[in-house]
Amino acid sequence: MIVLKRKKYTAYLFIVPAMLFILTFVYIPIIQNFYYSFFRMNSYSPTKTFVGLSNYLDIFQNEIFYTALINNTWYAVISLIFQVGLGLILAITLESKILGRERKFFRTIYFLPSVIAIAAVGLMFYYVYNPNLGLLNALIRIFTENDFRYAWLGHPRTAIFAIIAMSQWQFTGYIMVLLIVAIQKIPQELYEVAEIDGASSFQKALYVTIPQIKEMILVTSIITVIGAYKLFTEIFVITRGGPYDSTHVLGTFMYKTAFFYDKMGYAAAIAGIIFAITFTTSVIQIYISNRGEN
Amino acid sequence: MSKKLYSQIIVFAMLTVMLFTFTVGAQEQVELKFLHRWTQEPDNGFFEEVVAEYEKQNPNVKIDMQVIANDPFKEKIKIILGTENAPDVFFTWPGEFTNRFIRANQIMDLTPYMEEGWGDTFINSVVEPFKYNEKIYGAPYRLDAKVFVYNTKIFDEVGVEVPETWPEFLDVLEKIDNAGYTPIAFGNMFPWAVSHYIGQLNAKCVPYEEYMADLDPATGDFAHPGYVQALEKYAELTPYFNASANAIRHDEARANLINGQAAMMYLEIIEIPELQKTAPQEFLDNYDVFVMPDIPNGAGDQSALIGYPEGFVVAANTKHPEEAVKFLKYLTGKEVGKKEAQDLGFVNGIKNVVDKGEIPESIYSTTQLVLETERLVNWFDSSLHAEIWSVAGSELQKITDGVTTPEAAMERIRNAAEDVRAQF
Repeated sequence: MIVLKRKKYTAYLFIVPAMLFILTFVYIPIIQNFYYSFFRMNSYSPTKTFVGLSNYLDIFQNEIFYTALINNTWYAVISLIFQVGLGLILAITLESKILGRERKFFRTIYFLPSVIAIAAVGLMFYYVYNPNLGLLNALIRIFTENDFRYAWLGHPRTAIFAIIAMSQWQFTGYIMVLLIVAIQKIPQELYEVAEIDGASSFQKALYVTIPQIKEMILVTSIITVIGAYKLFTEIFVITRGGPYDSTHVLGTFMYKTAFFYDKMGYAAAIAGIIFAITFTTSVIQIYISNRGEN
Repeated sequence: MSKKLYSQIIVFAMLTVMLFTFTVGAQEQVELKFLHRWTQEPDNGFFEEVVAEYEKQNPNVKIDMQVIANDPFKEKIKIILGTENAPDVFFTWPGEFTNRFIRANQIMDLTPYMEEGWGDTFINSVVEPFKYNEKIYGAPYRLDAKVFVYNTKIFDEVGVEVPETWPEFLDVLEKIDNAGYTPIAFGNMFPWAVSHYIGQLNAKCVPYEEYMADLDPATGDFAHPGYVQALEKYAELTPYFNASANAIRHDEARANLINGQAAMMYLEIIEIPELQKTAPQEFLDNYDVFVMPDIPNGAGDQSALIGYPEGFVVAANTKHPEEAVKFLKYLTGKEVGKKEAQDLGFVNGIKNVVDKGEIPESIYSTTQLVLETERLVNWFDSSLHAEIWSVAGSELQKITDGVTTPEAAMERIRNAAEDVRAQF
């Protein structure tokens, strides 16, 4: 008994360093963030004033906040359709028997964009969307024979979608590869049984593949949605929220508030809201996946 | 414990003590942290040379130079200043950008040093921007101002002269437009570009004292009708910009100027050395500059020129104030200034730092233009409180696109100013 007990303590002892590490770098900062969100303060002056909930109330009256929230939501919805939806179709097609050895080639082609640094992709797409030199307008000009010089990033109605489209180009292949890995784990016997029953390729995908990789589809959906609300770099490297604040997302709005307006407390409150959104999404995910297992 | 191990410990302890002694000895040397914002060549190399030369002249000083690029600098300086790693001597833009740090007691008052004769070495109008509440907080490193750089060949071809008044200006633009050229190249993806137009127009439409009072975030209400007039004047220019100005970056628009597609562009004089290096000879042989034309019924100072120095300041919490000030004096002094003008084409704030003929004529003459101006007016973006500017920047982009009116834009800027006043 004594030996067993001692072993128990030893286990805790091994957990302690990791616990301390996570506490210091994850949980304590989160708590501190909520604490700071009740103050008016900036980063270079030691004074801070307690303002209660007024940072949160101000945020809910700020139009940029709603623009940002809508943009994040657009990003989430479009990414679900393209990255998970299209990624799934691509994954199933690439793993089907239609393709032979060339599947490796296509897998690489689709995956490749996701390994490029976002800053580089951002600069590249800035030129793709450029009104005068841009590839996109040049393509449209071939088909319409007009002098088409639309500024995709210069108009508030198209700028955010232009950036979202860039992300689809970049990350659909990444989600596809995750799904392919899941598909490859499905036992071949299931397909053989389906074939004996006379299932078509489409039916095999619908009744064998998709139910078997349900877990992975859920995980990739959650990654995509959480990623959508944590969005920052794509916007920051291309438009920084412009033209006239139309492409702000919560991340860039928070950054601008903190480092441009010098309102650290206000920015902490925005961070709190982002945390609440992503945390809720994660809880829902865990709940759904637990229910699925049972 | 074995004898061998024992002796090893003693040797180790002695070594440690020795090491400490050396370190303590080395600490008698002064180490200054120096931060600037020029990551690119030739500027960064220039600072490296200046620092090396200073260290040679002052063997007791070791300078730890750090560089942060222009845009991230604006954000990172705010974080570093709050910490123990704050630089002793660092770059800043005078005006509200610096004033907020002064209000938070982060920047050292240099007035006592300036009064000992240092201040007299500078041109008065160039050191003036570093004043806050009658005290001097910084020293100028380089002079800047905004002028129209124009293609003389296009002007000759179209048959127009340099405009001196606003109606003449619009007439010139119309004629150039009809001739098939882009009258004004403009890249306003990041709205600091439009802020330069507005700063200059405000100075011409609003009485100086009133404009300065409005720039103080504690009192500014922007009530004078001249602000709307300035925006109206700006709106009159927008048909003559290249298309999609809000989707194009400044440097991209500048390419249209030097390629001869656009007739003129509003540029900072510090861009001229860069043009000298990158523009085709065809352009370099055919360009000149003029200042923003006068607005006949403008209530402001028609001779005021938008332009401001940039400079360096000393952190209030520096451990070596004397050494830091000494380095700052060197950095912004005549010796470095001469080298700066010759190597980089920038002119600092020292009286007669270079003579005619010592630097390229185009740089010399534009610099003289600035030095002969009695009143320099700060950039609109860096002189405004950040929260007001964030609203103003958006509104100015909207005017550029023609989706809002000058009155509506000014109304929103006034509301932002009111919100900020409430915080003081």
